[in-house]
Amino acid sequence: MIFLKLLEGIVGIGALSIAVGLLFMGIGRKITARIHRRYGPPVLQNFIDIFKLFSKSSISHGFAFDLGLVAGVSALIAAVVFLPMGQINLFPHNSSLIMILYLMTMAYLGMAMGVSSSGNPNATIGIARALTMMMGYEVPFAAVIFSVYIFAKTGSLTNIVAAQGGGFLNWNMVRLPFGFLAAEIALQGMLGEKPFDMAIAPAEIASGPMVELGGKYLGFGMLQHAVGIYLETGIMVDLFLGGASNIWIFVVKQFELFFIALLINAILPRFKIEDGVKFMWKVPLLLGVIQALIVVL
Amino acid sequence: MNYNVIWLVFTPLIGSAIAAILYKVKFLDRIVTFSTFVITLFLVFSTHVGQSYSLNLNFMNKVLPLSWNVTHLSIFMLYISVIFGTILTFYSLIDKSKMKGFLLLLILAANNWIFTTNDMIGFFFAWELMGWASVVSVLGGRDEKASRHAALYYALMSIAGSYSMFFGIFTLWRLTGSFAISTNVAYLSSIVGVHPWWVIGIVSLFFVTFMIKAGIFPFHTWVPMAYAWAPDTFTPFLSAVMSKYGIYGMLLFLPISLMEKGVPTAFGLPWVNYIFMWIGVITAVVGTVLAFFQDDVKKLFAYSSFSNLGYIVAAIALFTPVGVTAGIYHAFNHLLFKGALFITLAAVISRTGTSKMSEMGGLWRKMPVTFFTFFVGIASAAGIPPFNGFGSKWLVYQAMIKQHLPFATVMLFLASTGAFMYLFKAFHSVFLGQRSHRYDNVKEVPVIGQIVEYFLMFAMIFFGLQPGYILRPIGAIVSSMGLKPLHVMSNGYVTGMFSNVYMPIIGWSLAVSFTFGFILFFISAKHKYVSQEDNYTAGQLPEEWNLTPETYQFSWKFYEPVESVFAPFFKVKVDGFFRGLADWTVATSSAIKEIFVSNAQMYAFFAVVGLIIFVIAGWAA
Amino acid sequence: MMSEWESLTNFFRGRSFWMLHYCTGCGAMELPPTMTSRWDMERFGIIPMATPRQADILLVTGYLSLKSLKRLIYTYEQMHAPKWVLGFGSCTINGGVYWDSYNVIEKLDKYLPVDLYIAGCMPRPEAILDAFKRLRELVEKGEAKGYEKYVKNYDWYKANQDRLFKRIKPVLQKPEEVTRSA
Repeated sequence: MIFLKLLEGIVGIGALSIAVGLLFMGIGRKITARIHRRYGPPVLQNFIDIFKLFSKSSISHGFAFDLGLVAGVSALIAAVVFLPMGQINLFPHNSSLIMILYLMTMAYLGMAMGVSSSGNPNATIGIARALTMMMGYEVPFAAVIFSVYIFAKTGSLTNIVAAQGGGFLNWNMVRLPFGFLAAEIALQGMLGEKPFDMAIAPAEIASGPMVELGGKYLGFGMLQHAVGIYLETGIMVDLFLGGASNIWIFVVKQFELFFIALLINAILPRFKIEDGVKFMWKVPLLLGVIQALIVVL
Repeated sequence: MNYNVIWLVFTPLIGSAIAAILYKVKFLDRIVTFSTFVITLFLVFSTHVGQSYSLNLNFMNKVLPLSWNVTHLSIFMLYISVIFGTILTFYSLIDKSKMKGFLLLLILAANNWIFTTNDMIGFFFAWELMGWASVVSVLGGRDEKASRHAALYYALMSIAGSYSMFFGIFTLWRLTGSFAISTNVAYLSSIVGVHPWWVIGIVSLFFVTFMIKAGIFPFHTWVPMAYAWAPDTFTPFLSAVMSKYGIYGMLLFLPISLMEKGVPTAFGLPWVNYIFMWIGVITAVVGTVLAFFQDDVKKLFAYSSFSNLGYIVAAIALFTPVGVTAGIYHAFNHLLFKGALFITLAAVISRTGTSKMSEMGGLWRKMPVTFFTFFVGIASAAGIPPFNGFGSKWLVYQAMIKQHLPFATVMLFLASTGAFMYLFKAFHSVFLGQRSHRYDNVKEVPVIGQIVEYFLMFAMIFFGLQPGYILRPIGAIVSSMGLKPLHVMSNGYVTGMFSNVYMPIIGWSLAVSFTFGFILFFISAKHKYVSQEDNYTAGQLPEEWNLTPETYQFSWKFYEPVESVFAPFFKVKVDGFFRGLADWTVATSSAIKEIFVSNAQMYAFFAVVGLIIFVIAGWAA
Repeated sequence: MMSEWESLTNFFRGRSFWMLHYCTGCGAMELPPTMTSRWDMERFGIIPMATPRQADILLVTGYLSLKSLKRLIYTYEQMHAPKWVLGFGSCTINGGVYWDSYNVIEKLDKYLPVDLYIAGCMPRPEAILDAFKRLRELVEKGEAKGYEKYVKNYDWYKANQDRLFKRIKPVLQKPEEVTRSA
């Protein structure tokens, strides 16, 4: 029955998304190090970090802090369950993209509530910046999503993936190239990689939202980042790279997108907030608008 | 002939009379108000679609027919407004603001009349009654001078709207000879193919009033002032219920769009509907952007209110089944979450004594129930599933995509993301962050307030998980307007055009996920609770640095970077336009006044000129 | 004796030291080379973190004036257990080149429990990496318990600290209103 399916789904997909996310982060650190012409940590370093964090004692500022941080990871895993990932598609009739995006927002709201309740203004400044950046990248991303909706005549990710079947030339990346470029730039903002990582900004605002997180809370924060990477690249793969027939090919495609984001992250500095938002509303929005016009007319 | 309908109007009037006599005794005043609402609620339960009543008033040998008719839309609006009013008056039993109960009951009488009437004279009378009662209600706020100014502004806009509607009513009477709404709408529908400009002109006269009441651009300038300076327990009613009168009025006239055949279209919509949709979208964006920069928490939510009304207007302007369903559904959701938010704000303001966000902070430990209600309200307003706000936003997007309108949808998406931003600003500045020591003795609201808050939380979650209970009546409304309604599969589904969303599965997913999250939380290493003073301050001890909770709370100029992004748009001020209009009126009136206070020679001059004009006119005729 | 679980935990802790990016004195100049490409310390899992809540290791890089010692102790107390203090450079061992200054402390171990000293003025990056390797061995053997020593002997440490802080006049505050928050 549905409940059992959901239970297995959350445990299985939760573990998978966490493992893949942490692995991506570890490979990311290695690749960044090699770009810097050094060796870099072992690929499984992030797993070691998570283990260490969960074994460390910590302080908390109250139940809002606890609840918020747990919500950050749990709501994201609850959203990943609805994502079609190759042959794993638990609820094909309930995979509306807008629903997944809005469910993701619950995770960020919970995390924002948690870190702000610590009482440290650095955390809230970081959240204010993250939300402003979200306003920045959501506009071109929305233009692209709605172009895909009109193009594929459906809003459900399962159907969008099915419409891209039949070979490389059917992928939305090829059929909607401007949209793909705009979404790539928006993805850079969504992942919080440079040049759009002003929310964390260690040197400016003492790492922003993570300022009072330690021990298992920081562990939850890292898990949230990992699952976030998985979910966001997963959405992009379903929208533009034609999903996959197999979960392993899906992960490889996700890694391709993450790899591009990583390369840009390794070499660019950070935008100011105003400049980041203005950039997002110039170049990617222009591409998205061109795409929307092509689709509508 | 069903007397039930008439009782719906007269019971609140009787209650109002009793409350007016008792208004000096505050507690009795509130008890009478609450009881009248409960009685009216029972009357609403016994009202059914199709009940009607008519009355012929004999007036100087002319017959003035008044008629009432209960339609599907009437029943829906009656239910939601009276139920919300009951909850609000139950809350106000404990509130100490200076809201007069008899005024609220007059508004309730007008409310019931507006939703059930079928003739324009009754509609106009009820509209005026509601308008004046609400203007006087705005007067009792915390800051006397600001309340007066806000009430005056609101009154002037209301009067302008009323003139416009009056003109429209009598133009239609001259054309059709009848005051009945259904007759007039049918007449307009029949001539819209032949004389579209004429119909647009008449309908705009009405729409000016409705847009003023709903706070649609460019008539939105009264909303922030009136909402902010009204008594704290009146603002929930203003925002949740009274803005929907405008929507109701628009829905009376919009079925004319079905008859617009051969009218030039833009993107598949008749161009009037297209422009009206864009007005809705602009309202949504303007409200959102201006809300980023507010310091007064009630003003922020006032901007949020008319921004959501923009969503509703954009959806119903399309006049497709999905569009109208989305609009009415969002009207219901907005009533629920905005009412809950304003009630929690009333609680917070009554406990802290201030409504400025830069002076509040960290209240979540002291007022936990209010905190959770506010959190659920915010999640709902941001459109997060499984709370109730998601379904209507999703349907609005579906409606706009079906019509192939990506640009408008992107602007609405921007408004939605912006909504998340300003909602978080309010959430943090009031409840999170550092708590100042002057709030060390703040207590939670009394039990009655907590009951209201639990009930509203439960309602938001319930209607989020089971939207079918609302979508079915809306389906009946939509089919009564001549459109094919959406098929509601079962209570748990929000059914759209491309796909469905099954809400309970989202709820279950979150529940299971949170369980595992908390299991992981509790099996990890132990945590210790520390106070808010024990914080990362870069190594400095707070007391040596003169660091107080007030200085360490981040709530002033929360979104300062965003100001430079929107700077070019702040040069255009609609408020400036209205003030300019007011100044011009004052100047012209002063000039005309000069005629009457001048000397006898001026009078003689004007008398001669007037005589010459009359002679010439008489000669020419 | 350590249990299985504890030795597994120590294994992981030793391979994921997060150091607080707090540069107390002139010895901090050796940290950027250690962190960057030439003597890459990230390959051992060590990265700099911004706040004491997130860090495991407090690296006391160089001399400590009385004022900075006060801030350092406040920062140390805000870190979460298990945490380790590394005394970096000769100033923390015996005062270094500032041994005769009225304003600099001579032996860090009297005020904070130090797990490992690194000799040198200042130690080269190779010495720093060697120290981290030695700390990892200590942690895996279960011998680096400075944080427990601090809690057990808190009175003694606090007496030493207070004797010093009587000599510092706080800024912006009248002397009788100074309080220490733990």
